Amino acid sequence: MNQQLMHDRLKLHFGYDSFRPGQESIIERVLSGRSVLGLLATGGGKSVTYQLPAMLLPGLTVVVSPLISLMVDQVQQLRARKKIPATYLNSMQDPTESREILKGLAEGAFKLLYISPEKLQQPYVQQVLKRTRVSLIAIDEAHCISQWGHDFRTDYLRLPQVVKQLGAPPVLAVTATATATVREEICSLFSIEKEDVVLQSLNRANIAYDLVEVAEEIDRRSYVIDQMDRLQGPGIVYCSTRQAVDVLTASYQLDGKKRVHGYHGGMNSMERMLIQSQFLAGELDVIIATNAFGMGIDKPDIRYVIHYQMPASLEAYAQEIGRIGRDGKPGYALLLFSWDDWQIHQHMLEKEYPTQAQVQKYEQLCNTGVPLTNEALAMVDISEEMGALLAFYTERVLASYEAAAVGESYPKAQIIWQETEKRRSFKQKKLAEMVSYVRGENCLRASINTYFKENDHQFDLYCCKKCGLTTDAYFQTNDHTIAKNEQIKWNLRQALDTLLPNK
Amino acid sequence: MNSRNSAAEEQDLLCAVALNAMLPLANERTLQSAYYILRGRKANQTLQDVHLYTLYPYYRMFSRFPREDWEKIVSTLFQAGWILPVDAGGTNSKPTFTFSDTGLQHAKHMYQKYRFDVWFAPFTQSDLAERIEPFWSRLHLMVQTISQMHHGDLGFIPVVSDKTAQRSVKNQLADGAMRTAWKQQLSDELYRLWEPLDEGVQELLFCQLSGVGQVGKTLGQVAEIRQTSRSYLMLQFRYGLAASIQTLLAESNHYPLLSKLVTESHKLDPRLTESAARTYALLQTGSDKKEIAKKRQMKESTIEDHLVEIALRCPEWDMTTYLPNELAKEIVETSERLDTSRLRLIKDQSEATVTYLQIRLALARATRGAK
Ligand SMILES: [Zn+2]
Repeated sequence: MNQQLMHDRLKLHFGYDSFRPGQESIIERVLSGRSVLGLLATGGGKSVTYQLPAMLLPGLTVVVSPLISLMVDQVQQLRARKKIPATYLNSMQDPTESREILKGLAEGAFKLLYISPEKLQQPYVQQVLKRTRVSLIAIDEAHCISQWGHDFRTDYLRLPQVVKQLGAPPVLAVTATATATVREEICSLFSIEKEDVVLQSLNRANIAYDLVEVAEEIDRRSYVIDQMDRLQGPGIVYCSTRQAVDVLTASYQLDGKKRVHGYHGGMNSMERMLIQSQFLAGELDVIIATNAFGMGIDKPDIRYVIHYQMPASLEAYAQEIGRIGRDGKPGYALLLFSWDDWQIHQHMLEKEYPTQAQVQKYEQLCNTGVPLTNEALAMVDISEEMGALLAFYTERVLASYEAAAVGESYPKAQIIWQETEKRRSFKQKKLAEMVSYVRGENCLRASINTYFKENDHQFDLYCCKKCGLTTDAYFQTNDHTIAKNEQIKWNLRQALDTLLPNK
Repeated sequence: MNSRNSAAEEQDLLCAVALNAMLPLANERTLQSAYYILRGRKANQTLQDVHLYTLYPYYRMFSRFPREDWEKIVSTLFQAGWILPVDAGGTNSKPTFTFSDTGLQHAKHMYQKYRFDVWFAPFTQSDLAERIEPFWSRLHLMVQTISQMHHGDLGFIPVVSDKTAQRSVKNQLADGAMRTAWKQQLSDELYRLWEPLDEGVQELLFCQLSGVGQVGKTLGQVAEIRQTSRSYLMLQFRYGLAASIQTLLAESNHYPLLSKLVTESHKLDPRLTESAARTYALLQTGSDKKEIAKKRQMKESTIEDHLVEIALRCPEWDMTTYLPNELAKEIVETSERLDTSRLRLIKDQSEATVTYLQIRLALARATRGAK
């Protein structure tokens, strides 16, 4: 493929003059029809690696993405700014809408289709795609397919089979976080050759890593509120739960100086869109959010991320602080932790996975032949989520055993439980790694980079808490308190003239 | 005043709304029925209650009202002695409630204190609640789009992600002459539409809009700026939109553009679920259920479900093609004779040619008539 053409298209659709590290070699490989695994730091421009090929390849590019909100945002941006005919399919759409989109796909009206993994499993969707020419299947957040990834998703596991059914077009798996084990698994599932794994340096030289242990909830809150007042924004504060978001937001708003808003999945979509737009437009200084915030937002000048509580894994942590300082200017990552955080995660883990007795009850329920409705599950004390988990493992165990030993009986419940235990202990291990990161004595940058097999440990301003850092460097220098609600006499005509200047 | 006071005012306002919504329901309905009305449940019983007790302003006032919050309000009302429980028994098959004298007085006092007479005035028919949200989505998106057009920048992310609203605005602007008209006259029409409203309401509506140089504020943000309760603003916001819709419906010739954002909803009947409304629109063009099923690529049984819904909610629909009047009468009589609504029992007692669809249609219409 012509290099000049790639650069021209980059300028035309994305407005960039040059590729970021890794992008070009991924795109070249994809365009020559190879399957590729691309590992790019968060904010390293993952989406360009499939959006640009989509415009150059003859057929359709299918992007598998787990996040509906991200899908909607990206498609809107593509249509609006980049003039790329893109659309999306997910389970939230009504049947009429899906049908219209499928019709458009069959007619070749789109170059790019975002789709959720569960939608891609549906036979009628596959039928339409089979008839359409699919040039590339891009798998976003590809680490979700690995059992050893921190956000393993059961609906990703069937993707290799779907790729085959669609005539085995080349695959581009992209992710920002993947350990060596995860990489190997992705490559073997999609038959990606070793030389087609493209890695970009995961070291974030402009970010300084800070860490503070807190004993009491009250200390934690007052410390964070104080930091929010002093730190140079814009910034994001991540909390583990919606409730924590609401409480911290309310207490900050009592006497904090900055313009702050909460953000979580419990808010309606227009409200979330407004908050996000305000943050992008610089009308808010800080967003206090659950991990629902941040995926797919393109704001290069985020100066700090505070973790109000310790996240459940280093992968999640790296992803969230990866949003700091994409403009390359200095940024600050502060992680607060306490023994309580560990206990809360521990408790959530216990709740997520079944006990041996629960698996047995589930088995019995299956054998009775009763449809597995939520009500039926609730009768034996199994939540909807756990029901889904058990259904998944049951299917897997059945598939592997029935093929091997036809008709022979085997301790099915026991095996299923062992499988879920494996998964639980895996998550336990992730949590332990996170704990050992916060309790460790070594350089934080080195610890996190080593975890992701990155040997480059350079830094710009400060390295980390262990190597010594001055928080002052990240405080705002000029004390410009924002004039809150200045009183201007209301005038409807004037207001309308500003918003809709009738020239 | 700070956020703590706002929280107290919020509670006070919610009590005021709840009390006044409950007033006509006392001794006749359960407390839950008031909750369903405020949440805007689409069940037939709720819709009937709204008509029967003319509770139009309350319908769908707080579509996301959490049940815990409702329970808290109810227990406050009981504790204050404003309402008293009435057990099931006698003429009541379900437990209901009654008002104390102080409760009656308090309800009246709160009605005046919060100027409900002003905010509720435009809610004179049942479909307003259904129109508010789509109207606001379209208006919001239209203003954002036109504002961006004025600045020659169409590369923006729409604040409204609702597909129907996006499609409708796109249709409006598809034609060049229409685009010019919108660009030139939107500001003026909005001015005339909102100028008669209370200034506080004007500003409330305006500051939630987005466009070049302005990202809309959320209701919560406005509440914080004005140091008032969010739900009270919600009342005023709904008033502003309902009043706008009423004006646009009554004087569409004075608002050739903005009235399009309202009248469009006529195409899809707001009384129905979206899918049934699409079926109804096709019925009105003369298609029969087979053709509709084919056109919409749906099972005929799904279309039949729609017909039943239409029979229930749209009394004007002439369903004699599917159910001759004579047969309808027979089915209803059978149902009454057997004292049952169970389809199977009725079918067993009817002629072999009678279909389940016919029985369902007959019963749906009968329920509607019995109200
Ligand atoms: Zn260090």
